[in-house]
Amino acid sequence: MAFDMKMALVRPALKFALERNGHGAALGFTLDKLERGETHLTFPYREDLIGNPITGVVHGGTIVSLLDTACGCSAMTVQNKPSVTPTMDLRLDYMRPAQLHKPIYVEAKVYRQSSNVIFCRGVAWQDDRENPIAHCVANFMKVDSKSIQFRSIAMKRLRRLMPWRQASVTDSEQN
Amino acid sequence: MDQQNTGELLLDWQERVGAARQERDPQSLLDMIPYAAFIGAEVKVDDQRLLYWLDKRPSNIGNPSLPAIHGGVIGGFLELAAAIEIIYNLNVSDMPKVVDFSLDYLRPGRYRTIYASCKVMRQGKQLVNVSATAWQDDEQTPIATARCHFLT
Repeated sequence: MAFDMKMALVRPALKFALERNGHGAALGFTLDKLERGETHLTFPYREDLIGNPITGVVHGGTIVSLLDTACGCSAMTVQNKPSVTPTMDLRLDYMRPAQLHKPIYVEAKVYRQSSNVIFCRGVAWQDDRENPIAHCVANFMKVDSKSIQFRSIAMKRLRRLMPWRQASVTDSEQN
Repeated sequence: MDQQNTGELLLDWQERVGAARQERDPQSLLDMIPYAAFIGAEVKVDDQRLLYWLDKRPSNIGNPSLPAIHGGVIGGFLELAAAIEIIYNLNVSDMPKVVDFSLDYLRPGRYRTIYASCKVMRQGKQLVNVSATAWQDDEQTPIATARCHFLT
């Protein structure tokens, strides 16, 4: 595959935004692979995320968060102008309970994008990819709005950091 | 965890569930679940139903530029609410097992308190269907609805 310049620019920023901010930082997963329309992440077992106090199995909500993040990330990068994609719906099928003290691997892929909707599939597994713990399908809206494009968000941040350059940044954005 | 330990934990759990039903204190069930403390979910008895809520906290933010609550948090919160609804209202002794979970996002979850309530749509011999709704300002404008199946 040819070198993807746009992805090379987006990847570090997206990795930082997802791993170090808000809920992503609280969960503590690592993004292993970030390609256009494909995301892999690893999540360690954590005792403070247990959902079943009898067996010690991780709560399903954690798996919802992981798959939503992975699918959303795949959907964001697949667009011509990468931007935030609002989730329309998400469906999860739990195949088996997660085993204790083992990391969870998540893989998400975009399998179709139309002019308005991005269709995404994700899978979470532990030992064997052929025996997943959960499957997920998630659909995302493509919203054509400048305010949610990565570029505008980054510019906004930059402007906040460098108030003395405010005028010049605004000029270059309008051109 | 070994078999014997699990048996003890199950007995302890059943005892606590019985006490929670008797004292009309569903919050004591949530306190047993570490994930509830992680996202900060709370519950109270409100009229005839259970009202769940999730106060805003920085670790629940998904999109810092709006800011909006992470979609996965809303999903996890509704799944938790549905499970508590089953444990508290229906006659089940073990923890219900979630089979599938389907979530529709209707509006972005703003950085404010989220409320939720659940309704058991059908209780069969093995399967229970629950629908859960989450809202912020007004119950008539929900931010997400979920439908889930549990094995009991």
